[in-house]
Amino acid sequence: MSISRRELFKHAGSGFGMVALADLLRTQDLLLPPEGLAEASVADPLSPRPPHFPARAKSVIWIFINGGPSQVDTWDYKPELEKRDGTELKGFDKFTGFFANAVGPLMKSPFEFKQYGECGKWVSSLFPYLSQHVDKMAFIHSGFTESNNHSPALFMMNCGVPRMGYPCIGSWTTYGLGSPNRNLPAFVVMSDPKGRGLPKGHALNWGAGFLPSVFQGTWLRPKGEPIPNLRRPAHMTDAQQRRQLDLLVELNQQHLAAHPAEKDLAARVDSFELAYRMQTAAPEAFDIRSEPGDIKQLYGLDTPHCSHFAAQCMQARRLVERGVRFVQIYSGGMANQRSWDGHADIEGNHGGFALETDQPVAGLLADLHQRGMLDDTLVIWGGEFGRLPIAQKGKKPGRDHNPHAFTTWFAGGGAKGGVSYGETDEIGHRSVVDRVHVNDIHATILHLLGFDHEHLTYRHNGRDFRLTDVAGRVVKEIVV
Amino acid sequence: MVRIAHPLAILLLATGLVAVPQETERDHAARMAKSRDVFKDHVRAIIAGRCLKCHGGEKVSSDFDLSTRKGLLAGGRKGVAVVPGDTGRSRLLKQLRHESDPFMPKKGAPLSDEKIARIAEWIALGAAYDKPLIDPKAAPNGKEVSDADRDFWSFRPLVRPTPPRAMAMADKGWVRTPIDRFIRARQQRKGIAPSRVADRRTLIRRAVFDLTGLPPSPDEVDQFVKDKDPDAYGKLIDRLLASPHFGERQARHWLDVARFAESHGFEQDYDRPHAYHYRDFVIKALNQDIPYDRFVQWQIAGDELAPDEPLAMMATGFLGAGVFPTQLTEKEFERARYDELDDMVSTLGTGMLGLTIGCARCHDHKFDPIPTSDYYRLLATFTTTIRSEIDVVLDPAADARAKIQYEREHATLVVARDRFEREQLPTKLERFLASRAKSKDPGWEILQVKSFVSTGGAGSERLRDSSLRITGKNARFDKYSIVVTTQSDSLTALRLEALPDAGLVRQGPGRASNGNFCLTDLKVTATPLIGGGDPVAVELVSAKASFEQKGLAVDRVIDDDKKSGWAIDPQFGKRHSAVFEFGKSVGFSGGTLLKITLDFQCNTRHNIGRLRISVTDAKRPVPINLGGPPRPITELMRLPAKRRTPKQTAMLLTWFRTENLELQELDRKVREHRVPKPRVARVMVCSEGYKPIKHHADGRGFPHFYKQTHHLRRGDSAQKGPVAKQEFLRVLTRAPEGVKHWRVPPQRGARTSHRRAALARWITDVEHGSGSLLARVIVNRLWQHHLGRGIVTTPNDFGAQGARPTHPELLDWLATELIRNGWRLKPIHKLIMTSAVYMQASDRDAPLAADVSDGLFCRQAPRRLEGEIIRDALLSVSGELEPTMFGKGTLNEASKRRSIYFMIKRSKLIPMMVTFDLPEPLVSQGRRSVTTVAPQALLLMNSPRVRGYAKSFATRIAATKDPVIAGYRFALARTPTDTERRRALAFLQQQAKSYREAGEADPRGLALVDFCQTLFGLSEFIYVD
Repeated sequence: MSISRRELFKHAGSGFGMVALADLLRTQDLLLPPEGLAEASVADPLSPRPPHFPARAKSVIWIFINGGPSQVDTWDYKPELEKRDGTELKGFDKFTGFFANAVGPLMKSPFEFKQYGECGKWVSSLFPYLSQHVDKMAFIHSGFTESNNHSPALFMMNCGVPRMGYPCIGSWTTYGLGSPNRNLPAFVVMSDPKGRGLPKGHALNWGAGFLPSVFQGTWLRPKGEPIPNLRRPAHMTDAQQRRQLDLLVELNQQHLAAHPAEKDLAARVDSFELAYRMQTAAPEAFDIRSEPGDIKQLYGLDTPHCSHFAAQCMQARRLVERGVRFVQIYSGGMANQRSWDGHADIEGNHGGFALETDQPVAGLLADLHQRGMLDDTLVIWGGEFGRLPIAQKGKKPGRDHNPHAFTTWFAGGGAKGGVSYGETDEIGHRSVVDRVHVNDIHATILHLLGFDHEHLTYRHNGRDFRLTDVAGRVVKEIVV
Repeated sequence: MVRIAHPLAILLLATGLVAVPQETERDHAARMAKSRDVFKDHVRAIIAGRCLKCHGGEKVSSDFDLSTRKGLLAGGRKGVAVVPGDTGRSRLLKQLRHESDPFMPKKGAPLSDEKIARIAEWIALGAAYDKPLIDPKAAPNGKEVSDADRDFWSFRPLVRPTPPRAMAMADKGWVRTPIDRFIRARQQRKGIAPSRVADRRTLIRRAVFDLTGLPPSPDEVDQFVKDKDPDAYGKLIDRLLASPHFGERQARHWLDVARFAESHGFEQDYDRPHAYHYRDFVIKALNQDIPYDRFVQWQIAGDELAPDEPLAMMATGFLGAGVFPTQLTEKEFERARYDELDDMVSTLGTGMLGLTIGCARCHDHKFDPIPTSDYYRLLATFTTTIRSEIDVVLDPAADARAKIQYEREHATLVVARDRFEREQLPTKLERFLASRAKSKDPGWEILQVKSFVSTGGAGSERLRDSSLRITGKNARFDKYSIVVTTQSDSLTALRLEALPDAGLVRQGPGRASNGNFCLTDLKVTATPLIGGGDPVAVELVSAKASFEQKGLAVDRVIDDDKKSGWAIDPQFGKRHSAVFEFGKSVGFSGGTLLKITLDFQCNTRHNIGRLRISVTDAKRPVPINLGGPPRPITELMRLPAKRRTPKQTAMLLTWFRTENLELQELDRKVREHRVPKPRVARVMVCSEGYKPIKHHADGRGFPHFYKQTHHLRRGDSAQKGPVAKQEFLRVLTRAPEGVKHWRVPPQRGARTSHRRAALARWITDVEHGSGSLLARVIVNRLWQHHLGRGIVTTPNDFGAQGARPTHPELLDWLATELIRNGWRLKPIHKLIMTSAVYMQASDRDAPLAADVSDGLFCRQAPRRLEGEIIRDALLSVSGELEPTMFGKGTLNEASKRRSIYFMIKRSKLIPMMVTFDLPEPLVSQGRRSVTTVAPQALLLMNSPRVRGYAKSFATRIAATKDPVIAGYRFALARTPTDTERRRALAFLQQQAKSYREAGEADPRGLALVDFCQTLFGLSEFIYVD
């Protein structure tokens, strides 16, 4: 009896899905009505919908190099910096970084650079694993941003403006695309599981801003149950909960029948069935124990210094495999030694965090590639800004923040392999050739996802907002 | 010394990009002059005509700004475009010649060869400008504001419309208020009939949720349903409007508008622990029905308009409720300040006026008549406004009453003491002297302390009894040096008294956290008072004390161990004395100066709090006792009463005053009866001239505000125009003299500028300012909350981009009604809620799919409750709601108070609230989105907290005659139908059976909890019909 009823509701659910889709298409056509979704009281805001044009990438995995990785110690090889090691950088504005009173001389990278791949990319010794994949990567060396301070720069990189309160790129993506798998959240964020905290600005980095809160990132709790309320009450068996749910759904159906004009009441009926399915679907997606041994080895799951990041990268792949749109993994937590924010001892700091991430991210690229998923999964490696080529004075020298230059790379999802775009000056201080603003990076990501960034908008308090504010150029040079 | 001619050269050298051509200074000057001429004669026109629009005029494509030479040379995202004096390396020329991508100009025909040649010549000579193409210093007036602009519907002055006449007889029966005539008229034009009146059960549930945000109790429902009074409904509304829960419900709507939160946001998201007063202000103001114009004025300038009114001070929290970075670099100081000011202006704009003023920050508003210049002039209102935390006196009137009461009581105490002193003390003195004559007192001479020095930085205060109260800093380990003098020349012992004092913990006598002290060392030196000489160390041979703490005896003071000493635990609050005998008698003829050092090295902060020094010349061994007046008194004491002069008796009485315990007690009552302190609260306010709230970047010299704010080009604080002077939006100003119309110059020496007061007057001025719009916006908000949809569906945008009112006349009628009622909101609530349109049923016999979106209001729209109200309803139905109002909020989700008392910390929003669409408190929100998603269902199915509410609910109804009926009545304000009841009973039976089979201890109890939880999951539970 209960099975047939369940079947019935399944059909009711899919029928409803059509209604919701039509509703959303209507609202999208209007670029959403004034004051947002409230107007339409949109029933299922996450039902899948097509982008503006055929997409290269269906999903994004962003390895967020939190704290600001140093370009000259990673991917942006600067022989001239080595030559001028120890000399003063004349005319340097001491307020460029965070510590105006610790400005040191130019400092060469403590890491050795070698060429890799068919493209002959120079890569530092920080990345013995990732350097094997340079032919899959499109480097942007000429990135620059608008703040020399973590949280504004993080907001800039995530939300397109260096201020609080704007929707982040994951929210824009799910707002634009919905999600093909309604049993899982569409946008997932993983933070440091080693107790080093959240990135500065906390959850606002994956907030939905003025978009409906349904589009915010689902933050997985690093300890315990990753998502709250997935486990049914302890005393209940599945059958007992099902019986309870059947009663609930039946009563809600009766209520719906008395209010046939209310679309969101239909959505409510559906949402309970969906929740019921999520109880099993979500834990299954997060559970990496079932992965074969060679895959675990590929990511470095059994290697102590990187097993935590390996687990997160494996989960990211499993989520994307199941239709999750946007996954962000933060490497490191708060500022200073707790993230890539190498103010002191750049060698030890970057060395440590590279060791934590190099093999897992390389494993992720290889795994996506061998499954044929890399074609429509965009992997991004990058942080909120770069670091200065000069030393930050201290017992062991570090490097201070640099808003004028950073390197980021794309792999898969329609990005070219083995290309480099843009240049910094010969010491890696400022980006000078083919400069790429953060808005340009966002425009490019949205382009790969099938959006014209100027037309993915949301009307709020009288203005049509977009991720790229009033700027943005697609870096077509790195797009296949 | 090598002189580099051009600052630019330094820049280029520094970046290592360009070698500077060798050139003499004079050559250079000549070439630049020539270049300038070419610019004036030819190049300026070319750039202005073909390039500037995209590169520096209306926008800055590719970050390449041609409006100044600095911008030209800085290049854009593609790098350097022009190298002065080097045409070969000037990429711009290649682009103009269509040799290099992207070709320029992007639109229209390529430049003629002649024009390109002029530009090449100009670059070759040095690319000089005579002046910028856009003067960054020019006072921008922006676009003009015309009378046509002022004629836009929302900017027009209010005129009271006449409600349309109801035409048909049937309508006369339907219409209850003038509101209904407006609504009915539009329905008639569309040929649509209104809905019937909802049944009473529906009405009371709707009204109670709308006004108080809580479900009605079953008794409340019964009473109303049975009430025969024709005005039962009107009385119900009155009762609900008077409920304290009214403010709690309505305040939440306004807090959304005010983007209210209690933390800074950004990096650390520090708490604003005193910001909750703003929330309390909103609740109280709405409960007291403070007129809306004053409600608005206080939020802008309560500190200037009503500084003695605590609610007005708390109201200013509105301005500072936005986010602010807690970590700033020097580069960000000014930009952050402009962002902060923008937040104030934008929130005021959308929240109070329904105008997107913030859109005019970088350019003239694209759709509304708000030039950028108006934006910066309005922003100048807040130039010196900052967040501060101050003590606000909560109830000045009560304080004044308390002071009068105090003075009355104090006078009584003084009279009692004086009478005792006058009438009883002399007798008591004689009695004391008589009894004393029999005792053998060695006669302690109490010495006046001449100087006191503490190495730990403590101070001292000399008291009437010649003792010394130690005050101020209580160092970890202190050392006192005390100087006293005596006329005696044969001193045999020194007495140190440690005295109790009301100001000490447990009355001391020590300053330690338990009232103890520990004296570790005492040294005495003696010097002749006359003639001086080297101090002579006094040998101390024995020590005894009135009481000694176990293990800390007084002889430890004179041993060699610096750390051992004398303490008195547990004899706190008592007088203690220690007597130190000298090896041989000490003193000089002509008087002796003694320097006494007391060391406290045993335990931290164990220093004596009040002490007194005496000496004696009595024969050794000197006994310990607790009495002993000073020498002149002891001499007087020997005189029989009859031989004393009145003056001598007076001296004795003065001394005896300090000895008599009864008088001491009376005196203490007078002394300790202090003026009652006014009740104050630490409040976050937004004002001027108070100390700003501390900021991380204070150490870097963050100024918190700048004395002047400027017109900015493209909103960029690096591109300053002239100083902006306060004015208001021209489109809403109908006084030719502008701001002066509202400005009342502050008194000399005033703390604040009173610019905000002027704004507060303008914004509420119906005749000359923006009062009409202010009234329209608020009545629309109230309408929206009661009908589920505004007359204007964009409550925060009444501008050109916003929606037009479906019923403009009704909106204006309500706005004039508000003003006629003295801006009180409660009458408007009642007016709307007693209208036929509000009282309609939500279900129609023949559903109209498009009715809601058409805004015909031909039925009530079912509405889902907000997250806060859902939780409040869960707490209320389960009988767990804790009704305490006001005060500090909490982040503890286990709290049983109403959800409005959750602290709103931006990085830690309460998950359940967010799941049910709580907006992020970052910008003003005019209406919430309503989504229906699986996490909401998961929460209701599996959250242990919701399960807990269900358990309490089950306990509440388990004992009733029919728990199913009781459950329905509590949760849904109705009884179940027979089918529903049968279905529920079947469920309970099956579920209990299954639990029994599983061996659960209380199968029926568990089944009932499951049922209660099911009720929470019903759409009917979280929707209001």
